[in-house]
Amino acid sequence: MPASLRAERRARLVAAMAADGIDVLVVAGNPWRSDYLRYTADLIPAEGHVFAFIDLRGKVRVIAELPTEAARFHAEQRDLEVSWSLSPIEEAEAAIGSYGSKRMALAPLAAVPYRLATGALASSMASATAMLDRLMLRKSPSEIAALRRAAALADEGHAVFREAARVGRPEYALVADVEAFFRSRGCPENFQILASGGREVRGMHPPTERCLAPGDLVTTELTPCVDGYYAQICRTLAIGSPSEAQLRAFDVYDEALAAGIAAVRPGATAGEVAHAQNEVFRRHGLGEYVSSEYTRVRGHGLGLYVDGRPAVLEDVDLVLEPEMALVVHPNTYHPEVGYFVHGDSVRVSADGCEVLTRAPRRLFSVPGD
Amino acid sequence: MRRGLISWSRDEVPASVLEGRVARLQDTMSATGLGAALIYTSFARPGAVAWLTHFVPYWNEALLVVLPAGAPVLLAAFSKRMQGWIRSVSHVGEVHSVSNLGHAAARLLEERVPGSTKIGVLELDALPWPVAEPLLNSHAKRLTDVTALFVSIRQPADQTEIKLARRAADIAVKALDSVPPRATRASQVLAAVEGSARLDGAEEVLPRLVPDLAVGSALRRIEGDLPLGERYAVELSVAYKATWVRVARCFSLNTPQSWLRAQRWTSDWATRIAGASAEPPPGDVTFWSLEACVGSPPFSVVASATGPRGTVSAGTLASFSIKLHLPDGPWLDAGPVVIGGGGPGRLLVSPLHA
Repeated sequence: MPASLRAERRARLVAAMAADGIDVLVVAGNPWRSDYLRYTADLIPAEGHVFAFIDLRGKVRVIAELPTEAARFHAEQRDLEVSWSLSPIEEAEAAIGSYGSKRMALAPLAAVPYRLATGALASSMASATAMLDRLMLRKSPSEIAALRRAAALADEGHAVFREAARVGRPEYALVADVEAFFRSRGCPENFQILASGGREVRGMHPPTERCLAPGDLVTTELTPCVDGYYAQICRTLAIGSPSEAQLRAFDVYDEALAAGIAAVRPGATAGEVAHAQNEVFRRHGLGEYVSSEYTRVRGHGLGLYVDGRPAVLEDVDLVLEPEMALVVHPNTYHPEVGYFVHGDSVRVSADGCEVLTRAPRRLFSVPGD
Repeated sequence: MRRGLISWSRDEVPASVLEGRVARLQDTMSATGLGAALIYTSFARPGAVAWLTHFVPYWNEALLVVLPAGAPVLLAAFSKRMQGWIRSVSHVGEVHSVSNLGHAAARLLEERVPGSTKIGVLELDALPWPVAEPLLNSHAKRLTDVTALFVSIRQPADQTEIKLARRAADIAVKALDSVPPRATRASQVLAAVEGSARLDGAEEVLPRLVPDLAVGSALRRIEGDLPLGERYAVELSVAYKATWVRVARCFSLNTPQSWLRAQRWTSDWATRIAGASAEPPPGDVTFWSLEACVGSPPFSVVASATGPRGTVSAGTLASFSIKLHLPDGPWLDAGPVVIGGGGPGRLLVSPLHA
C-alpha cells in the first residue's frame, strides 16, 4: 500500500482518537477479520491472532502469534515494534496492563477475544468499534482510487473467467485460471464463489469438482482486492446459446440491477436500494424469491472487508452518504433457470452514484461444444 | 477467504476415520465429566473442526457442539440454502443455520445439557466476543477451557492425515517446479504457483516470498509487485482437504556450492530435530521452527529456536522450517515431517528442491 495512504489513514485515526479521548487504541485481528488492523496499522494477518497498540503519536506496537508473521510485519514496516508469542492474548493482556493510567480502548467487537473482552477495557469496545466504523465507511479520494482499480481488475478477471469456462472443465480449474491472472497483476486476495448447472442450483459456493456441461448457467461473484480494497462483480454466463427461459430471466435481473443502482444516492437508505430491486421481482410475479429462503442480501458495503456495512436489505435504515461504496446485486433463485447473479460495484456520489463496474451487463455465453 | 477446491472424498477421508476422532474426544469428555464441547471455526482457525468433521468454512463462522454421544451438531452462520453444500463436504449430524452463533449455542445447551454439567470450550480465551458473550450470559459458571484436553488427543497423526499431507506436499513441490526459470518479477512466480496449486486441487495456497536474498531473509506477503533479486526464496503453505504443510525453496540461476551443502545437511531434517546427528550445520542456523496443528490454527509453533523446546509427541505431523546464514548469504527451507517414535523421524517429502 502506498505510504501516503497509510499516513493519511493514520492522521484520521489519531484525530478521531484524540476527539474520543483515547490515548492508546488496541486493535485485534486475524485473517478472517483483518479490516480494522489494515485500516489502523496497515497490517494484514495471514495467520494467527495479531494485536496492534496505536498511540496518539502514531507509534505502533504489534504482538503476533507466529514468528514468521512477526518477521514479515517488521520487514514491511521498519518503524513497528513487533514481537511474537505462543500466547498472544495473554501477552496483549499484559501489555494493556503496562500502560498504567493511559486512557485505552479496545476494538473491534467482531474480533476481540473473550479474555480481553472480559478484561480492563471491556467498557470501551462498543464506542471504539463505532469510531472505527465511522472512519471506514466513507472513503477518501485515494481509497476510492483503489476501489476503482479493484473494479477494473474485477472486470478483467471476469473476462478471464469467461475464457476459462469451457465444457468438461471442473469448477476449481476456472478459479485456478482467475487466481493466476490476479496474481500476475499483483492482486494478493480475492473472494470468489461460483456455481454451475440448472434449476437444481440454489446458491453459490467454493469451487467443486463438477465439470461444466452444455446448457449450464455458470454464476460467479469475483471480488479482487487492490491496496486492501475489495470491489465485486457478479455475472452469469450460459454454456452454449442461452435458452429463451434464461434470456427472460436475465431481463428481470438486469431490470432489478438498474432499479437498485438508480436508487443509490445520498440520503437514500440501504433499505430503499433493496426495495427498488425487490419490487422488480414482485412485478414479475417472483416476489417469493426475494425472501431469505432463496437469497441473502441485495448487495452490501465494500471496503477493506469483503462483505461490509450496510447489508442491502429492506429493513436496513442506514442512510447512504457520499463516498460510501457498495455492490448492488439482485442475486437470487429463479424457478425456471436456477440461481442467477448480476451485480455491479458503485460509489455514492454527491448527487447519485458512480458505477465502478464497466463490464457489459449481459447474459454472456461461451461455446457449448 | 478460501477459494480453492473444498470437497470431501470418502475414499481419502473415510467417515469411519472422522467418527473415530469424534469418539476419541467423546471418550475424553466422559472421563472428565464434560456435558458438551464447543469448538469454533472460521477460515482463519479451521483446524479442529475440520479434523473432526471435514468442514472448512470458506468464509463466515461456525460452532461445533460435541455431545457425549452421537454425531456432532454444527451451528453455522450460513444461510439455509448452504446446508446442502455443508452436508456435501462434511460429516456432521444436525446442521442449523443461525444468525448468532452464541445465542444458538446457549439455547442448544439449555435444551440438551441441562443442569450444572461443565461445558468445555476449545481455546476459550480466543473465542470471538460476539460468540462468547451470549454463552457467558447464560452459562458463565459452566464454561471451562479444554484446550489441553484437545491437544492431548489431536496428535499423533493417523495414516489418513499423513496421506493428505503427502498430497499437499506434492502439490506444493509441483507448484515450485512451475516457477519460470528466468522469472524477474514476484508476480510471475506467484501467478505460476497459484495456478499450479489450484489446478492440482489445493484447498488453499498461501505464498510468501523473500524477493532478494541479498537484501534480507524475511518472507513477505506480496501485494502489488516487486523485482526479484538474482537469488530469492518462495515458501508455500498449502492445504489439501484441510491438511496443511509448508514447503520452501531457494531459487538462483547459478546455485551456489554452499546451497548444495545446506540441502544435503537438511535432507535429514528429522534426524536434526531428534538431535541424533553430530554433523555441524554448513552455516549459522539463524532460525528454525517446528509447527503442527494441535488446536484450531492450521499451524502452531510446538518447538523453535526462540520459543518452546518441549517434547513433541511421537507421530506428530509437523512442518519444519529453517534458515541458515551461509557463506553465500541467507538460505531457507521448509517441509513436512512426521516425528519419529523410537528413532529418527520419517521424512514425508525430500527437501532437495533446488
